[in-house]
This record gives sequence, C-alpha cells and structure tokens, in this order.
Amino acid sequence: MRVTIEVNGERRTADDVWPGESLLYVLRERLGLPGAKNACEQGECGSCTVYLDDTPVCACLVAAGQAEGRSVRTVEGLAGGDGLDPVQEAFVATGAVQCGFCTPGLIVAAHELVHRDPGATDAEIREALAGNLCRCTGYEKILDAVRLAAAKKAGERA
Amino acid sequence: MTGLVGRGVARVDGRAKVTGAARYAADHEIPGMLHGHLVLSTVARGEITELDTSAALALPGVVAVLTHRDLPPLRVPSFPYLKGFVPMQDTRVHHSGQPVAHVVAETPEQAREAANLVRVRYRAERPTAHLAHALDEAFLPPLFRDEPNEFVRGDAGAALEAAAVRVEQDYSSPMMHHNPIEPHSSTAVWDGNSLTLYESAQGIVFTRRVVSIAFDLPEANIRIISPYLGGGFGAKGPTWSHTLLNAAVAREVGRPVRVTLTRAQMYTMNGHRAEYRRNLRLGATREGRLTAIVDTSTAQLTRTDHGVYNTSESTLRLYDCPNVHVRQLGVRLDLPSSSYMRSPETTAHFGLETALDELAHELGVDPVELRIRNHASADPHSGEPYSSKHLLDCYRIAARAFGWARRDPRPGSMRDGNVRVGWGMATETHTFSAIQSNVELTVDVDGRATLRAATQEIGTGTYTVITQVAADELGMPLEHVTTLLGDTAYPDAALSAASATVASVIGPVSQAAQDARKAVIALAVADPRSPLHGVPAEDVVAERGYLFARGDRGRRDSYRGALARHGRPVIVTGSRLNSSGHSYGAVFVEVRFDPRLATLRVSRVVTAYDPGRVLNHRTAHGQVIGGVTWGIGFALMEHTMVDPHTARVVNPNLSTYLVPVSADTPSVESFFVDRPDKGSTALGARGFGETPGTGVPAAIGNAIFHATGRRLRDVPFTRDKLL
Repeated sequence: MRVTIEVNGERRTADDVWPGESLLYVLRERLGLPGAKNACEQGECGSCTVYLDDTPVCACLVAAGQAEGRSVRTVEGLAGGDGLDPVQEAFVATGAVQCGFCTPGLIVAAHELVHRDPGATDAEIREALAGNLCRCTGYEKILDAVRLAAAKKAGERA
Repeated sequence: MTGLVGRGVARVDGRAKVTGAARYAADHEIPGMLHGHLVLSTVARGEITELDTSAALALPGVVAVLTHRDLPPLRVPSFPYLKGFVPMQDTRVHHSGQPVAHVVAETPEQAREAANLVRVRYRAERPTAHLAHALDEAFLPPLFRDEPNEFVRGDAGAALEAAAVRVEQDYSSPMMHHNPIEPHSSTAVWDGNSLTLYESAQGIVFTRRVVSIAFDLPEANIRIISPYLGGGFGAKGPTWSHTLLNAAVAREVGRPVRVTLTRAQMYTMNGHRAEYRRNLRLGATREGRLTAIVDTSTAQLTRTDHGVYNTSESTLRLYDCPNVHVRQLGVRLDLPSSSYMRSPETTAHFGLETALDELAHELGVDPVELRIRNHASADPHSGEPYSSKHLLDCYRIAARAFGWARRDPRPGSMRDGNVRVGWGMATETHTFSAIQSNVELTVDVDGRATLRAATQEIGTGTYTVITQVAADELGMPLEHVTTLLGDTAYPDAALSAASATVASVIGPVSQAAQDARKAVIALAVADPRSPLHGVPAEDVVAERGYLFARGDRGRRDSYRGALARHGRPVIVTGSRLNSSGHSYGAVFVEVRFDPRLATLRVSRVVTAYDPGRVLNHRTAHGQVIGGVTWGIGFALMEHTMVDPHTARVVNPNLSTYLVPVSADTPSVESFFVDRPDKGSTALGARGFGETPGTGVPAAIGNAIFHATGRRLRDVPFTRDKLL
C-alpha cells in the first residue's frame, strides 16, 4: 500500500508498504529518519517516541497505515534550520545526555511535557517521563533539563 | 594548559545526540543491504533432528535461510569471545535461545516473518537451570585468563576458629541482564577478502581480533566501525556469535547483511550476570578488627565454558585482614554463557558490606567506625603501598553531608509518622584496568587539530574528555579540536570496559598533544616569517590557539599562522600503558518503608569518591548517578527468571524485567576528593565508571535492616520479602 504522511512539515510518500509495518519502520527504513530508535518493540522503553499530530506516541506501536494523512514530528524536526529547540539545548546544557540512544525519544516526550505543563512539579515530571527508559543517566539530569526548558518556556509566556 | 581539564564542559557530542544526527550501528545506510533475522533454539539441551526451511524460503523477499548445513567452518575465537563454541556449526544445542538458522531477506519484516516459518525439531534432554538444583556439583574452575579461582592469605580457618566474634551467612543474587537501550546490531560488508563491520561494540580492536580468528583472516583485512554506542554495560564488550554468523552469512549471499537482535534475543545472545550463592564467614576481635574472612562463592557456569566474571576482589583486598580464604566455585548449568556486567565486583561486595553491617550490629560499633578500624593503608594481599588512597576522606565527607551523626542505631527507631526510616551505608570500590593505547594527533594547515584513536564512546563522555585534554595541552579552544573514535582505521586503543578508557587513553592523548604543541612551536621559532622567530622554544606559551612569547605578549603567532606557512600538517602519535588499580568511595542511603503496604522507597543518597583527579566533573557526576541507579536496580528489582523445567528465560522483555525508571530514583548528591593519583599516567585520573553503585545494594539492605530490624540477604529485595 501507499502511505502519505506529513513528516517534519514535509509531505512524504512511501510505496509498497506492508500492512504490518510500524510507523517507526517507515520513518527509519523508508524515509531516512533514524533519529527515533528501535529498542524494545513493545512500547515499553519510549526510545521511538514521536509526535503523531500533537500527541507523543511510541512509533513502534503505531501501524504505518494509522499515520496516513496525518502529521508526524520527529527529533530531527523539532528545531527549525540549524538551531536547537530549547529542550534540546537544555539536554546538552544540563548533562542529560550520555550514550544518547534514549535521547531522541526522551526529548520528544520532554518537549510535549514542557509545552503542555511548564509548571509541572518534580513528581509530575518523574511520572510523565516514567515511560522513557534510560540505562545511563539515572534520570536526575534529565529532570534538570526539563526544569530548565520549562523555566525558559514560562519566561517566554510571562 | 588553559584550565579545561577538570571543568564540567558540556559534551562535544551533545548536539549530534539531541538532534538525532548521531549514527548508531543500526542507523548507517548501506547500499544494497539485506536484513538478517536469527532463529533461536527453543530447547536448552539436545540435538537438532530436523530443520525445514522450505516455507521460509518460499516467502517473497527471502534471499536465503542458512543453517549448520550451509555455513563454512568458523574457528572458536579466544577472549573476548566468551563462548566455548560457535553456533550453527553442528546439531548440538547447548542452551535455550542459541542460533540455529539465519534468515536473510530484502526487509527486516520479511526476514522476521520467514524466521517464524523455519521448522526445527529437536531431541531434547532434561536441562538443569538453577544453582539450587546442582550445588553438590560445585567445583573449583581452572585458571581463567591466567587468574586462579582460589586465593589464600594467612590461615583463615584457624583465625576464624579463634575469633572472639563471628558472622556466618549466605548471600545470593539472581541472573541479571545488561539491557542497554540499544539492541546489538552488526552489519557485514565484504569486498573480496576484506570485511567491514558496522558494529555495536565496546571494544572495536578486540572485535577485530575475534573476527580475525574466526575467519582466519588477517586483521589488516578487517575494519570495525562504531562511532556511537547506545549503552553497553559489558554486554557489548565481548564479541558474540551473531556478529560472526552474520558476517559468514553475508559472505555466502554476496551482499551486505545487517542483523539486529530483538529485545527478547538479548536475553540469551549476549551474556548476563550469573546467578550467585555466597557463603561468607567473618571473624573479628571484640574491638571490631577483622581477623578472618572466608568467602566461598558459587557461580553459574555452562557446560562449554567456565569463566568466572564476578570476582571476589573486595573480600580479598578491601580491608586490612591478615587471614583470608577466597574460593570462586562454579556449577555447570544448561544456560547461555554469563559475562561481565557493569561493576562485576558488586556481587561479592554486596555480601561483604552486608556482613560487615551485621558485624557492626553484633559488636555495637558504628558501621562507619568499623570500616575505619579495618582500613587498609597498603594492599593487604600484595603488601604494596598505594600510590594514592583517600577512602577515609570519603567516609568523612559523605557522612557529614548525609547527617550520619544524627542516626539512632537501634533498628526501627527512626520514624516519620507511619513510615519507618532507615539509614545504611557501605564502602564503594571497583578495580579498573589499563590497556596499551595509541593515538594520532594531526594539526592541519588551518591550525585545527584532529585526534584519532580506535577506542569508542559508549556514553561515558570519552569524546568530551579526550577533546578537553587535547585542547588543554595544545593550548587551543575546545572547538578547534575534533576527536574521531570508533574506527579500527585509527591507532589501536583501549576497550571501553573494566573502567579502562580514561585510565588507558588519556596518557597517550596528553603526550601527543604536548608533542604536537612543541613541534608547532619549534616550527614557529625557526621560521623567519614568524613574530616568534628566535624566541627560545621553552619561552613560548600556547593559549586559545595563539602562541606567545612569555613576558612579551606582543610577540604573537598562532597555530593557524605557523601551519599555513609550514604548508603541511604536523602529525604526532602518543602511546602509553598505565597501571591498573582501584577507585574508592562511600555511599549513604536513606530508605522509607511503609509497613502497611510493604512499600519501600530509596529517598536519599549521598556519596563521596576518590577517583584520583577528576577530568570532567559533569561526566564524573553522570557516572555516579547512573551507577547509583544501577545499584538501586540490583537491590530492588532486576531479576531474570528462568523456568526450572525448560531452562528458558520467562521475562525476556522490559515489561517484566524491571529496570529503574525516573519515578524510582531519588536525587543523588556526590562529592569528589579530587586529588591526582601520582601513580596514574592519565593526568592523575584513575578509572572510575564502575565504582559508583558497588556499595548501593548493601547500603540499601543495611538501611532496610535499620528501618525494620529485618536482615535481607537475597536480592532483589522485592515486596514479598518485606511483608
């Protein structure tokens, strides 16, 4: 089948898509976007988190056909041009990145959280990101990154 | 030196990692590449009697299905190939989840579907899967990597007999899996008799050696590429069979092939922390001086290999005890090979640090004081003095920051409403290795430097720390130095395991950068066109990319100017072998236990470390938080469950093999003594990555005892054990 998706603001088409394929597969193997990672294939680790329209999803659990006609935003499309999104900047600035493999998914999840609830408490941040597994950082610096990006976001609103 | 070393500079690879630009093993685009999928055995012991690949071959897109009938003979490589056999060479099955067929198709989805259609029949034999069912078969394994499994110092038996106070207990820990978030991936590209592998590897130089032996191919014909690694924790230090099989298959089909393990396959294909039983007997004086330690451990081995990876280093060497007897026994079970997993010495250390807490309680001595009384000021086994050791400072710094002096030692005495509060502590320690390492540093005609080394970034910050040290010694801004790692085309350098990278690589980096700086200064002062012409070379200093005459900053040249006039790059190499050793620290933990629901939270962790000189406080602190989080996983949740009848892993996924998530972890406070170890060529830094977390399981158990009066000796400390 043919699948047409708006990916990072661009209309993209993939042909001969097998109905069992995941959105993650289409992004990585057909559209040349390996930012979202394949790590558990059961929605447990969050490494493949992307926006489907405005909702963060595990792309490994979304069938390619479900994304037909919808918009997808991946880590590659968060910032315009060569710049970094404030969430990406905050991850670098706080030392929230170690091996970097869970990072693309965590950045999309954190991006959504910061935009939805920039005033989230520590407990709310921990809970909101509990679906994104990280084996390196121990999470604390990731929390720092979310707080930093949220403070910046709140500053913009004020 | 411009003060970059030590500073917590941000990661030089941060941008690539937050934008999705970093290319991990499964991200490289290879033209014409096929995808492989492994079929794994479903029995743990027996023979393959029938293998029918016809249905799989009939699927669209399937190019080949290879089995033991098709593969050429592969030699069994030596360390760091840990298995005693190469799969798919005959019909024998040694463990559940062993490769029996390799499907190759145009897409990964086709390969996977076809793999489901491969029919395999077995003549199955009854496996043994747990230590408890074979403890009477325990034996002392022969030497492993030239190391014995028995160590004797003094007369521990007699000293134990004569001891005024004794503690004797059993401690145990289950099989655990590394679970790096990145699954193992290997892409084989043959060009005639030359092979390139895009590999998830913690040691590309070692991978090249293993592949060279297996294929009887000169190392010069093999190139391993691994610029980024999505976590390893030991799982990607050894080279595993999927790499060899996939390369063999790619050669057979004549096209590049990629194989990426599924999460479930990662529970039988790439090692694990072995199940352990440990009997510990401590003897002490009434004043709490250790007089005897008898440590008898039993590890899971296999019927094909006998590596003991979780050595009893801490019972042998940590405390100043004159009589020690360590035996590392093993039992052969029908399971996959175990291997190194982050901080292997934690297994023994958990027992020792728990037993010491039991001794402290028995004697009525404060647990910190007990450790101070048994502090070793020289290596107790070799008698050699330490080149540097500040463990006593670690106890003092962390205890004060934690508020340990306010602890009421009586179990169950500290409460917060209905919640019982417990405070526990332990020493932290781990060995680090040193591996001969070489680097090449080029200062190009634009005055920028590039450093190349065949070590790799596994997440710990290697790109960053190398760049910092090189920029500092060169006297260049950080952004003028590019570090290239993860390619065996570069000079051979350390495996990123055994906390070896910084200890091994920083010496050569520092040496090469100093030599490059001297070479460029020599060019400048000899060049009549340079403002520095005629200045004695030793009077020229380098800062931020400029070269100045000392005391006359008006006479100024630059790397860029000197190199442009020279017209060709300056290339130097660095080469060193550092000494191995230990890093030390102390960890203090608070737990909060709600007896109504038997819920336990780790609410506070305070640590202090002596890793020699700290090269980057940010990445060092990152290792602390990560290590402590591993300690929490070890103590409270991680447990691979193996069915006793089939010897199959029953929880091969992240839904039922629990690892800590953000909601499970407290904030971690850390302090560093930060004094250079003059015995280390790595600018006084020691290997450190595996030290944090080693004491955490015992510290948590000791805190649970303090909160509840209940002593737990079998991890993980799950709720059923707390009810």
